[in-house]
Amino acid sequence: MLEFLARRAAAALVTLVLASVVVFVVLEVLPGDPAEVMLGTEARPDTLAALRAKFGFDRPPLERYVSWIAGLTVFELGNSHAYGTPVAKLIADRIVVTLPLGLMALTWATIVAIPLGVFAASRRGSPADWAVMGFGQLGISVPNFWFGILLVLFFAVSLKLLPAGGFPGWRTDVLESLRSLILPALALSLSEIAILSRITRSSMLDTLREDYVRTARAKGVPERAVLMKHALRNALIPIVTVAGLLAGFLIAGAIIVETVFRLPGVGQLVFDSINNRDLIVIKNIVILITACVLFVNLLIDVAYAFLDPRPKVSA
Amino acid sequence: MKGTFWRRAIRHPGFMLGALLVGITVAMAIVSIVWTPHPYDNLRMALKLRPPSDVYPLGTDHRGRDLLSRIMVGAQTSITVGLIAVSIGMTLGVMLGAWAAARRGWVDEILSRFSDLVFAFPAVLMAILITSVFGASATNAILAIGIFNIPVFARVTRGAALTMWGRDFVRAAKALGLGPFSITVRHVIPNIASVLIVQATIQFAVAILAEAGLSYLGLGAQPPVPSWGRMLYDAQTYLYDAPGLAIYPGLAIALTVLGLNMVGDGLRDLLDPRLRLMRVG
Repeated sequence: MLEFLARRAAAALVTLVLASVVVFVVLEVLPGDPAEVMLGTEARPDTLAALRAKFGFDRPPLERYVSWIAGLTVFELGNSHAYGTPVAKLIADRIVVTLPLGLMALTWATIVAIPLGVFAASRRGSPADWAVMGFGQLGISVPNFWFGILLVLFFAVSLKLLPAGGFPGWRTDVLESLRSLILPALALSLSEIAILSRITRSSMLDTLREDYVRTARAKGVPERAVLMKHALRNALIPIVTVAGLLAGFLIAGAIIVETVFRLPGVGQLVFDSINNRDLIVIKNIVILITACVLFVNLLIDVAYAFLDPRPKVSA
Repeated sequence: MKGTFWRRAIRHPGFMLGALLVGITVAMAIVSIVWTPHPYDNLRMALKLRPPSDVYPLGTDHRGRDLLSRIMVGAQTSITVGLIAVSIGMTLGVMLGAWAAARRGWVDEILSRFSDLVFAFPAVLMAILITSVFGASATNAILAIGIFNIPVFARVTRGAALTMWGRDFVRAAKALGLGPFSITVRHVIPNIASVLIVQATIQFAVAILAEAGLSYLGLGAQPPVPSWGRMLYDAQTYLYDAPGLAIYPGLAIALTVLGLNMVGDGLRDLLDPRLRLMRVG
């Protein structure tokens, strides 16, 4: 078990190092002069030289890469060009919006999707099953940002129940802040609900065919207990795997959804940094998001290894 | 064989409905090359935000341009970006996957590291990296979505090809002295074509969604070229005055993607019901 986990962790670390090389090469080596990317080709030579000196772009690439990685390990990410503040602080200020948003979306998706999938599997072939499957098909086809706009049209413009966008801040008003995350979390969770309910359904159908389920039914165990205790518990492995994978995509989805709702989260910071050509911020956020995705995947491997002893033999 | 496929296809309601939806989008894109109800980029501020009428069936946008014409031309953008991105991903991915299955060993190991690396960057992040340095354009969006598709096809090809390498007819070809390249081209690829076709359909849907997302963020096709995603971004400012602007382009995206997903699922049933596919994006 330990050897399996150590191998997975080593593989994730190798991927992360490779990713950091890719990010560095794309942002700082391929364009030739990063200072020119940040200031534009028409910038004055002395301004360019000043920026190069400020961010150390005049040093050799290898030296810059090593000092960047060394900084990353202690969360010393340098200063933003556009904001003039430490990147670590910028990210810390924004993560308090993005993290609750992602968690709300994931929680909501799990609460809705798993019962929906179990329900559909228990009534296989019925109109209810078709409805759930149809919803699943629709859920993966609707872009989350459009669903967000539709939610704004309905709940904010027509019913005036929830705010259309913006975020007051946790310190200003906790309740209002929570309210302003409801629609974005709903928008973000649609495709997750669709995918998760389909996986739950098919995983449940697989386990419902197993001998122990037939035995439980033959013994007279009530259907609800058969579904929840015997089938769902064993169907959970693929569900957990997919839920974890979706967590990675939630982070990417947040970039767009935060733009729709004008939430001052990490996604908005990335978006603003692209417009400001703030390579320092982009470089660090991209590698941190990548690290998060890899870490979540590693956690799934750990969960998987605990839930099911088989994969560690084949992996 | 062909005859039976079409006969079965006609009786598959999901496939037919999907094909109809995709057919409408493709037809819109083709027709818009030669004809649109109004010029799609004709700015007439006096006619801005008009409600639907006989002259403007879906109304006009914030610059007085006909929404229907812009949605029709937007179909061209979506289809072109999706098609080229999937073609890039499929060509390179199939080559890599088939190579890994044929050679195993270190080639296989490098491919799986490469897949992990690309999967660690969601498509949007990849696009952000590319566009923040090289600027926002349809070409860079295609590149980002295309790169993301390479490992998707590589993994599916590798898995399907590995099964083929264990089959008797491939062993027989090997015994006859055929090299790995000939076996891959003559025996392996033709036999996994159905898997690849289904995966390509699904990835096309994923690519259209990704393109819409990128152009919503301003990282895709640039004005004056209309794109469905950007139209939705612009529409957000006018939600109170002209909600239709925020509804129709989104409907176009959702119905096209839904159609492609239904065609993909239908093809899977029709070609090989045992297929296991990836859905990432």
